[in-house]
Amino acid sequence: MSAARGSNEAPLRCEGLARSFGGLQAVAGVSLALPAGQVTALVGPNGAGKTTLFNLITGNLRADAGTAWVRGQPITGLKPWQVARLGVARSFQDLRLFTHMTVRDNVLAATERSAWFWQPGGTAGRKRRLAAAEAALEATGLASLADARAIDLAYAERKFLSLARILAAEAEIWLLDEPASGLDLASRMRFADLLRSATRRGVAICLIEHNLDVVAELSDRIAFLDQGRVIAEGDPQSILRDPALAAIYFGDRHEPASAAAETEA
Amino acid sequence: MIAYLSNLATQVAIFGILAATLNFILGYAGIFSIAHAVFFGLGAYAGAQIALLLVPDVVLACIVAAAIAGGLSLCLALPALRVRGEYFVAASLGLQMVAVTLFAELKPLTGGIGGLVGIPLPTLFGVPVGVLPVALAALALILLATALLARGSFGRTLTAIRDAESAAEALGKNVAAAKTLAVGFACAGAGVAGALYALHTSFVNVESFTMDYSVLMMAMVIIGGTGTLWGPLIGTVLLLSLPAALAFLPFLPATEVGAVQQIIIGLAMTLLMIFRPAGLVGDLSRGQTTA
Repeated sequence: MSAARGSNEAPLRCEGLARSFGGLQAVAGVSLALPAGQVTALVGPNGAGKTTLFNLITGNLRADAGTAWVRGQPITGLKPWQVARLGVARSFQDLRLFTHMTVRDNVLAATERSAWFWQPGGTAGRKRRLAAAEAALEATGLASLADARAIDLAYAERKFLSLARILAAEAEIWLLDEPASGLDLASRMRFADLLRSATRRGVAICLIEHNLDVVAELSDRIAFLDQGRVIAEGDPQSILRDPALAAIYFGDRHEPASAAAETEA
Repeated sequence: MIAYLSNLATQVAIFGILAATLNFILGYAGIFSIAHAVFFGLGAYAGAQIALLLVPDVVLACIVAAAIAGGLSLCLALPALRVRGEYFVAASLGLQMVAVTLFAELKPLTGGIGGLVGIPLPTLFGVPVGVLPVALAALALILLATALLARGSFGRTLTAIRDAESAAEALGKNVAAAKTLAVGFACAGAGVAGALYALHTSFVNVESFTMDYSVLMMAMVIIGGTGTLWGPLIGTVLLLSLPAALAFLPFLPATEVGAVQQIIIGLAMTLLMIFRPAGLVGDLSRGQTTA
């Protein structure tokens, strides 16, 4: 299986990515590979640089140093839409749904890449996109809500809609920013099923998650970030049992200020 | 009376095109341009010059006007790519002010304050033709085009950009290209309206392309209903027939019609924004703060 592959063959790889804001070194030289068919969890205290790392990969932020590759092709310096077209899909912590569009249109929009007046592929292409959208709605359990507006959905449904957009985009690399936060147990299990069926197809998934139970449940690997660096990487069991990492994560090492930062998420 | 109604209908068709195209960028893409009259003016001057210097062929005038207004729409697209919301409103306001000054000063092209006079009556392939049927045909075509674009993938792309630009980009949409195209299409349409206007009135000057007219077009769209197909047209009919209706009121002195009209339009917009923020035709639930 994919575990046997070297990191050179990972669909997404980055090396030495760095970015600072003013005097703050948000990401300080991160090297990471996302293997196909695996869920890699990015774990770390608030302000560790997890979302900034996503933004550096997707081109939403320009890296001060370092490079990222998608299937061997360097993507540093590309615009977000160009990175997306190489098969990198991302979700946002604040979801960013197309609020005044219907659920179906939200998902259809994810299948339509051309910014031109019409999409290529004619009627056959349109049928294929519609089918992909319907399949994504079916998989996320939103089919019965297809004609509702995104803004009228309940919280869990909104989260699944942001996932349906990614499913419909048919990307091979998913970057998910806190996709499971706020989901109840049943929803979380549906979410886990979605991830597993994606990894079975060979999708490389990276997710940011604060709930360590969820991390243990969902991930195949963990990369532990602290102060902009990957300080540990490995299988969930060894990372989650490491007392030194737990001390960082639960803030023992820090002053009380970090407890306040924790609640902000 | 027939001539009067025919004139009113022509005005409705021309401003209907302006409202429909402004609605396209305002209602779908969320680009709040207060400079639509600039592109109306560009088209009018272009159409007038074609008629004066070359041949008063209405189709040729419309095509040249659309090309010039559409091409120069980059002046509007560039700020739209960089800034949103109130910042873009300010940028388009600046464009409107610069354009009016240029219209008044560039005498060789625009005739200056005096404008361009004696524009010959329009023809179509050498045959004299009224502006009204051409304007109605153009209006129908542009309504059809905006409806098709708005309901298709391009409309979804624009709405997606309006609702969450970064998410649209993250799904592979070239936001800059989509905005530039939308603005180009809308401004080219305004150019067509300008050429028809020049041939209809046979006289154009800067007075018709001031910010007042940009605001009037915006009022037509907002009162009718942004992001709807028929709303802008209904807004146009209402706002253009209002002065005509007021003129028929025997107790209202002709000199007061303008002031009363302003009050009615202003009140209508205020009340609409309170009770029907999405306009007369718009979706009732939109724009309210309950969501």
